[in-house]
Amino acid sequence: MPNEKIKEKLPRGFEKKDSAEDMKFKAPDPSAPGAPNAVNFGRRRGPGGPPGAAETEKPKELGKTLSQLVKYFKDSKTMFILLTAAVVAVTVASLFSPSIQGYAIDAIKDKNWDEMYRLLIELLSVLLLQVLFSLAQTLISAKLSQTVTKQMRHDLFKKIDNLPLKYLDTHSNGDIMSRMTNDVENISTTISQSMSSLISGVLTIIGTVAIMFGYCWQLTLITMVTVILTVVITKKMSKAMRKVYRQRSQMLGRLNGHSEEMITGYKSVVAYNQQDNVIKEFNETSDKLKDVSIKAEILGGSMGPIMNCISNIGFVIVAAFGGLFAYNELITIGTISAFIIYAKQFSRPINDLAQLYGSLQTALAGAERVFELIDYPDEDKSGDEDIKNVRGSLCFKNVNFSYIPDKQVLFDFNLNVKPGQKIALVGATGSGKTTVVNLLMRFYPVDSGDITIDGQSIYSIKRDKLRKSIAIVLQDTVLFSDTIEHNIKYSNLDASDEEMIYAAKTSNSAYFIEKLPEAYHSYLTHAGENLSQGQRQLLAIARAVLANPDILILDEATSSVDTKTEKQIQDAMVKLMENRTSLIIAHRLSTIQDADVIVVMDKGRVVETGSHDELLKKKGYYYSLYMTQFAGIKT
Amino acid sequence: MLKYLKKYWHWCLIAPLFMIGEIAMDLIQPDMMADIVDNGVLGYNLSLILTVGGEMILLVIFGGFCGIMSGVFANLASQNFGNDLRKDLFGKIMNLSFQQTDKITTGSLVTRLTNDVNQVQNMVNMLVRGIVRNSAMFVGGVFMLYRQSPQFSVVAACAIPFILFFVIFFMKKASKMFVVVQKKLDGVNNVMQEDVAGARVIKAYVKEDYEMGRFDEANTGLYKTNLKVQYLLAFMSPCMNIVLNVCTVAVIFVGGINIQSGGTTTPGEIMAALTYLAQILNGITFMANIFQTFTRSKASWDRINEVLSCDPAVQDGSVTAESEKTGEVEFKNVSFSYPNGSGKSVLENISFKVKRGESLGIIGTTGSGKSSLVNLIPRFYDATEGEVLVDGENVKDYPLTDLRDKIAIVLQKTELYSRPIEANIRWGKPEADPFEIKTAAEIAQADEFICNTPDGYYTQVAESGHSLSGGQKQRISISRAILKNPEILIFDDSTSALDLKTEANLNRALRDNFPNTTKILIAQRIASIKDMNHIAVLEDGKMTAFGTHEELLKSSDSYLEIYNSQLNGGVSVAE
Repeated sequence: MPNEKIKEKLPRGFEKKDSAEDMKFKAPDPSAPGAPNAVNFGRRRGPGGPPGAAETEKPKELGKTLSQLVKYFKDSKTMFILLTAAVVAVTVASLFSPSIQGYAIDAIKDKNWDEMYRLLIELLSVLLLQVLFSLAQTLISAKLSQTVTKQMRHDLFKKIDNLPLKYLDTHSNGDIMSRMTNDVENISTTISQSMSSLISGVLTIIGTVAIMFGYCWQLTLITMVTVILTVVITKKMSKAMRKVYRQRSQMLGRLNGHSEEMITGYKSVVAYNQQDNVIKEFNETSDKLKDVSIKAEILGGSMGPIMNCISNIGFVIVAAFGGLFAYNELITIGTISAFIIYAKQFSRPINDLAQLYGSLQTALAGAERVFELIDYPDEDKSGDEDIKNVRGSLCFKNVNFSYIPDKQVLFDFNLNVKPGQKIALVGATGSGKTTVVNLLMRFYPVDSGDITIDGQSIYSIKRDKLRKSIAIVLQDTVLFSDTIEHNIKYSNLDASDEEMIYAAKTSNSAYFIEKLPEAYHSYLTHAGENLSQGQRQLLAIARAVLANPDILILDEATSSVDTKTEKQIQDAMVKLMENRTSLIIAHRLSTIQDADVIVVMDKGRVVETGSHDELLKKKGYYYSLYMTQFAGIKT
Repeated sequence: MLKYLKKYWHWCLIAPLFMIGEIAMDLIQPDMMADIVDNGVLGYNLSLILTVGGEMILLVIFGGFCGIMSGVFANLASQNFGNDLRKDLFGKIMNLSFQQTDKITTGSLVTRLTNDVNQVQNMVNMLVRGIVRNSAMFVGGVFMLYRQSPQFSVVAACAIPFILFFVIFFMKKASKMFVVVQKKLDGVNNVMQEDVAGARVIKAYVKEDYEMGRFDEANTGLYKTNLKVQYLLAFMSPCMNIVLNVCTVAVIFVGGINIQSGGTTTPGEIMAALTYLAQILNGITFMANIFQTFTRSKASWDRINEVLSCDPAVQDGSVTAESEKTGEVEFKNVSFSYPNGSGKSVLENISFKVKRGESLGIIGTTGSGKSSLVNLIPRFYDATEGEVLVDGENVKDYPLTDLRDKIAIVLQKTELYSRPIEANIRWGKPEADPFEIKTAAEIAQADEFICNTPDGYYTQVAESGHSLSGGQKQRISISRAILKNPEILIFDDSTSALDLKTEANLNRALRDNFPNTTKILIAQRIASIKDMNHIAVLEDGKMTAFGTHEELLKSSDSYLEIYNSQLNGGVSVAE
């Protein structure tokens, strides 16, 4: 096996695992199926083909999904009944009008003028009724679908706000967004539209055929030839179409994924002069998309002419045989006129029903994705005890934790914090510092062990109360596309402007905010992209200060802030943090050296605790960390 | 736009030709039908019914064939057009300067490339087929109707103004409302996007209810506007139908009167007239639709064109890079302000020089202009005043690719792509072999953690690197820069998430492996830069001090202040 040979030669980390067997040793070809870029598939589902012809996905648990779906329509029961009534009325009216028209023409032929006038008035009123009912039908179905969409969006959003972080960790934002937008829209429009066309389709077919039989059964049977043709061809065509449409939406997904990534990551493309390669890759995908699109569009576009052709053949059949029958005085010409309209009238619903099947399936698959999210268990909300006057003693008792089974992050972690202490966590990247904070906030549940605040298990405290007593500044700053004022006041919506300015001063952000043209009312576009990393962090600290918490957590909150500014913040916060517990995570030892207790972590375990001076004397792990920083000076 | 269509003009021409064939067949039919009814059925001529019927079927099949072929050619034209446009646009985007992408924003560029191109492509397809089809339908219908019997065309003439009025009325109203709908939809999506991305902060501040309120407000707004549009549109087709229905009755009535008063109209003619009338009125409705698509894609085309017509703000120079690598960097009285900013100076009168193989550390307060300074070296932006020199030549005199080939920059905000780690590192040098990649990763202190991942170097980097910690992402992008083996290596605060020990190892490895590479490093920690040949201190866009660590300790108050804020107590340990 040639593979064996390569394996020996390749450096460590490059061995091909079985799963990566087919990955050739070259820049991955993004166009090859199954290539790593396939991750982008389905992230954004682009504009598909016409409904029904688009990619059809089969729902997995049809019964369950359907019953959940019915629930959404249950609240609008009256509307639903009204809709059905309107559809029936429209269908009946459209069944009658051609026959009246036929009689009118017969009346002309027979030169029976009084009859003609009567029939014309009748025809006009039936047609007007039909218009009226179809208006009602459209209005009701719009209302119905919008109401259901709104409710579904509401439920989904509520769920998103209550999802455990674990779900967000394992699902891409694009995936969640796509369920929220594309899927919901798809479901509501398809369902409300299909509902009308299903009812009217079936009614029209039955009614038309019945009336046609009433006129002349022989001619009806002959007309049926076109029905059979329509069904057979629609079925064949939609099968072929589904295949190319699926290919097309895959290519589209790949192209969109690639361009989005390269445009947002554009700085690195330019910095490394990779434009040509990136463009080449894009062009290849684009060409492939073009080829498959042409195929798809031609197939889809042929549907119309072919159907047109069939319906015209039906026309000729009716004319020829109708003429023949009329010649033999089996029927009148008025009947032929009516027949032509009826034959047209029922070839349309047959076509619709055939397509409906496909679009219904797609909608149901979308519904399944939506309900999968809605059914996902909420974040743990247990605990009903209040905490008041938090003194701020914290205790981690024998905590074990892993994000993914078998990859334990914290091992038998113990930590005791006295009220009002300033605690610092230090350690290498990946030693579990942020995890400690995540557990304290109940973002994730511990595997075993317990965490207490003032001796009370955090799991017995109301989750919201717990979180309200802690303010946290995260590693990745989150700002909203809103004014600076609203961003700071996010933690305390009722805060006065004086309090906000105090918070801004404490966090040292007042300086740059006041320099902005509109100061606190300046609008942050694109969630604050126009600020420097350091400035974003200062705003996040201001937000935490304004929350006026019992416990403050700073998780690498000043990593992009220079040490001078940081020192000023620390000095300003001394007063604020008097008698309050604070927990600080930082790589920079200067950030943490005046902490009351420094906890040194390594690979999920506490290796050393003590004050800065104590730890230095110990000449252990902390000492060696500290010495790296000063290595140059002492020689 | 014609420029793009020109290439496919033959297809654009053939498609309507076939289309006309299809329409002609459609138009002849009702006439033949009338023939069958009037002469065959009423005249009891069975053989005429059969021959005319047979002819009709042949014509219908020919019409269907024409229809399919016109679809084929219209698609060939529009898809190729769209593909060319898409490729050009992407190429253009990749060659925009930072100044331009800052202005248009990356999000908007993505939409232009995907949605807008699609919109324009649809329009071309519609233009090639729809306009011809419908105007032919309309003109043909009117002609045939007139030929049948002029009195029926009076009915049509009366109806057309009504239809036109309704079409224009509804389109005008709806297109305004569609803009509002799009805005409201963006609002809903924004709240969602922010909440998905900022879940931790929302949870930490227990703002779930507040967010729900924010969302419900946006959602209800969308619901209301959507409903308004749909209600409006619901009235459109009934209004049209009323006109059509009245016409139907009128045609029968007029026909009846004519026959009553001894005219020449036959029942077959009335039936044919009904068909033509429907064709004419449908044609108008479709034209209105096309017009609506046209206005919408006009907006898309304008957005695309804005990008396509961007002149590169950064022009290539013509000096060929010297074969001998030096890597000298010099700033001569450089001032800079962001082109789209408030005009406030970000850098003022900066001058310094770094020789080959030397290292420069840059330190300074938040917002003092550190990142802006290094962005001038690879010409992400151009200096407003003064000169930036690389190897003794002004950076503006180099061809861009030559200049950027000399430089590797690790950005403050790491940008990784969703491909394997290996491919992300290879980005720095596409032809590198595995050994080179591994060596680069070793220098960047990334090899160890990479080897500990399940698939090693083939581990897939998830969307914008969510699966990796901040420090791991930084080390992968450092590996990428190292693999490039540049003359000038720039780190823009790209070791902030590394612990001190790892950073010290990285710095040592860099010193040992790249003695001749010029290194420029922005950092917050004195420890990261104190061994550098030169250190620059920036404050509010001005360089307040330049020298070695020892010199600065003596001469620069602000450096000393930073030093003390980081190292106080350190001295006592050393004693």
